[in-house]
Amino acid sequence: MATTTAAVTLTSDLMSTNMSVSASTTCMKAGTTADGLDQMEYGYVDIASGTAYDIIGNTPTASKASKLYIKNHSTDETYYVSVVLDAQAIGKLYGGDWMFIPADFHDANADIEITATGGTNKICYALFHEGTTLVAS
Amino acid sequence: MATTTATITLSSTDLLSDELALSTTATLTQAGNATGLTGTTGLARKTTGNTTEYTLFAGADYTDDKAHKVYLKNMSTTSAQYFEIQIAGTVVGKLYAGDWALFPWSADTTGTNCDIDITPQAADMTLEYMLFTDE
Repeated sequence: MATTTAAVTLTSDLMSTNMSVSASTTCMKAGTTADGLDQMEYGYVDIASGTAYDIIGNTPTASKASKLYIKNHSTDETYYVSVVLDAQAIGKLYGGDWMFIPADFHDANADIEITATGGTNKICYALFHEGTTLVAS
Repeated sequence: MATTTATITLSSTDLLSDELALSTTATLTQAGNATGLTGTTGLARKTTGNTTEYTLFAGADYTDDKAHKVYLKNMSTTSAQYFEIQIAGTVVGKLYAGDWALFPWSADTTGTNCDIDITPQAADMTLEYMLFTDE
């Protein structure tokens, strides 16, 4: 069993008391404590402005406990990618932002689509999953 | 200006032949500029009384198409227990026991309201959450 850990720390001086929140999880297969996610897809791509792309080319097995990480490595804060799931807007990842979500891929339409704005955005992504439907050659 | 940072570390020594060690920090700023986010709901917890779908954040309550960020954590320790996360009725994924998520939120209201809804797999589950807002 592979053991993959995802940890986050949020710090802020927004409020009267400084805040620091930390969480860590071991990425497990759906509903288990003994079997970790053991497959991954990792990439770094330049996304030209204006066109929508599916960030994950293959279709991961639906309704599992896949985890998706995306970071916008652009250094210009006016650059962003719009993240869309199944034609529904999720949010915008500006230069330097990252996201980490459970990804359900519940049907063939549940692609994660990104569209770059401002210029060519440099995007890093990693998908931890339980299997994908590979495209036949 | 307030400074809010989010650091993620992804690590594994046995997923690949080589060690995976990825760590990066984002300073959470307003849409399109370098000014830090200035609003937050603060850290909070909700314990659900049943398996009904709940609206955690309503899109209509926030300015749309900004740089809001949402943090969620399932506080359950029972591995089979999850929260199904939906945005505008679209299933994003299932947050299993101990899992967390951080993502940008459009709060879009131009079509279907981009509410963030949670559906617990079991009654009496606890979700920890926080919203950083760009207003």
